[in-house]
Amino acid sequence: MPKIKIDHRKCTGCRHCEIACSLNHVEGVANPRRARIRVYHEGTTYFPTIAGPFVDAACTSKHNLVIGGETYDMCLVCRASCPEKPFFVEAETGFPLKCDFCGIPPSPSCVRWCNTGALELIED
Amino acid sequence: MNGWTGQCLRVNLTENNFQTEALPQELMEKFVGGRGLGVKILSDEIDPRVDPFSPENKLIFVSGPLVGTGAVTGASCNVVTKSALSGTIACAKMRGHFGAELKFSGFDMIILEGKAESPVILSIMDDKIKLQPALEYWGRTTSDTEDLFKKGLTDKWAGRETYLVSIGPAGEKLIPLANIINDGFLSVGGAGIGAVMGSKNLKAIAVKGSHSLTVADGSRFVQVINTLTNKLNSAPMTSQSMSAWGSAFFVGLCYQKGILPWNNFQTASFRESKVVGTGALENAFALRSRGCFACPIACIKKTDADNPLFKGKGMAPTYLAIGALGLNCGITDLSIIGLANMICGEMGLDPIATGGTMATAMELVEKGIASRDELKLDLGFGRGEEMLQALNLMATKKGHAKRIGQGGKALADEYGQPKSFMGVKGMPMAPFDPRGIQGMGLHFATSNYGPHHLYAYTFIDEVLNVHEHLDPWTPEGKPELVKRYQDTTAIMDSLGLCNWPLMGLKFKNFVPMVNSCLGTSYNADDLLGFGERIWNQERLFNMKAGFDHTYDTLPERCLKEPIADGPAEGQVSKLDEMLNDYYHLRGWNEKGEPHPDTLKALEL
Repeated sequence: MPKIKIDHRKCTGCRHCEIACSLNHVEGVANPRRARIRVYHEGTTYFPTIAGPFVDAACTSKHNLVIGGETYDMCLVCRASCPEKPFFVEAETGFPLKCDFCGIPPSPSCVRWCNTGALELIED
Repeated sequence: MNGWTGQCLRVNLTENNFQTEALPQELMEKFVGGRGLGVKILSDEIDPRVDPFSPENKLIFVSGPLVGTGAVTGASCNVVTKSALSGTIACAKMRGHFGAELKFSGFDMIILEGKAESPVILSIMDDKIKLQPALEYWGRTTSDTEDLFKKGLTDKWAGRETYLVSIGPAGEKLIPLANIINDGFLSVGGAGIGAVMGSKNLKAIAVKGSHSLTVADGSRFVQVINTLTNKLNSAPMTSQSMSAWGSAFFVGLCYQKGILPWNNFQTASFRESKVVGTGALENAFALRSRGCFACPIACIKKTDADNPLFKGKGMAPTYLAIGALGLNCGITDLSIIGLANMICGEMGLDPIATGGTMATAMELVEKGIASRDELKLDLGFGRGEEMLQALNLMATKKGHAKRIGQGGKALADEYGQPKSFMGVKGMPMAPFDPRGIQGMGLHFATSNYGPHHLYAYTFIDEVLNVHEHLDPWTPEGKPELVKRYQDTTAIMDSLGLCNWPLMGLKFKNFVPMVNSCLGTSYNADDLLGFGERIWNQERLFNMKAGFDHTYDTLPERCLKEPIADGPAEGQVSKLDEMLNDYYHLRGWNEKGEPHPDTLKALEL
């Protein structure tokens, strides 16, 4: 099954993926808040995060993330469309958003526009 | 409206109120937006002879129509005002994410008028607009200001989507060299704007919003962007050089061409370009690429968080910083150059203007015209530590450094040595020696914004030879080249695009992107026509502000003294041979004034 691999070391934080997602889901509309991928940053590091379903279990097994000596809050990179975070929710309806590998196959639209290789389609 | 949000926010700082206006449709059809719209509105609303620091001067933040739509490199927000350093019209290009977020917050443009009684921050957060008191922010550095503002937000996630533009202590103290900083990015060509913002007692603007932007033909637009991204990916300059080192790779190129200025443009004798070249830069900074909104090139380089000198703060020096703050001041130590660049970012100073001014001060001291005791600073070419000290003192207007802070021209005039000031229209020159690159020399002399290369990047054809192979030393064909690039840059700024993609793409490649986004049917010539109209509009503003053709010149050193050594040895600027042709080509008379017919054709 194909998956999108994220390499946060390559991400430059340009957020082109957010707009790619938005333009693909609602034709002709560019709005990062409607995107199913968001890029958060902490210090000099960028974390692209792809929207997924919310399950309680993820929160109970939450632990801090250590990358290169820095400690990050797990919620930062968590992909859940969760009530604690104002992201990955459709504004008008309140429906949770979830990545659906949109765009022209094989590459989803965000992977296609990611120029640095931070997003990559891999076969599992 | 496609691309546009169609709304403008007009803030009166004196009366502490604001109102929302619809964008003037007829102006948008004639001036496109961004820089063009800002320049037109400033020309209409203020008297060009006004004192830049007076409340009558206005400050306009305007994003182009393509910004935020996902258009390749569509990130530029222009800041238009009357410059405090030169007195000409000023138009900074702000990169990063501020411009796009401004559009998402529902506005294309913010017009700031008057002067606040005490320091304020303008915040536009999810449609809640307010002017909040900013006394506790006054005196803080730019990154401190951002951190404090984001920490003060009640929603802990909101800070991640909030973008600020702020001034540092230099802008607050009305140092004419002050620039504005957004999200750690120094704006391009912003010398003199930070001080105007400071004179209005406006510390920062914060934006966040969730409005949608619409694109006329979504599927075509996506297709065009795929093509453009692929093209940028296959062009060596944009995909390799710029992506790897940012503009710092120009150091080696300019060295080879002999146009790397050294010690206030006195020689080009610098022999060790490797010391500050790309390899050295990589070792010193552990570069990390940062992209502006929707930019596949990502030329901005940050240092890694664990670099002890910088701790992830500030940018790694670009070519401008290395050239202006480093080599032109005789400094080759990359960590000093990096620190100087960081001080500029934190204190809110413009690196080109500051570097040029420092070089003038150093020359005055070395020639014994200004004494070290008098300045109470042990300045001199190559004295890095002293320069850092001077920068900090200057930004806070302390001690005798405040004399330097008035700008290179004022300093050179004070000591009766106008020759020591290497600049045009009061603005120090970008670190390219115009004697060895004639087209850029002509642009430096005629630019509406002072000698800044990013308002007509002839470097692309004269040195990089991307589209054409032009001999940098000959004046032939340069007036045409300069005019073309000046117009191209004007229209690209107005659309909200960056200049760098021109290193891989031709201007005509962007036309389908513009049309599919805005739903128009322009061709490349139509768009360049807009650029010409904008350039003439700026020229008219400057003429009314008192800048006639006598200001279209280069420093005496560039016109009379040949380059002393290096590959371009013996070259002088052949400005005289080019200037009249340039005026003629533009439809201006020999005094550089547009003919009535020219203005009529341009509908001005």
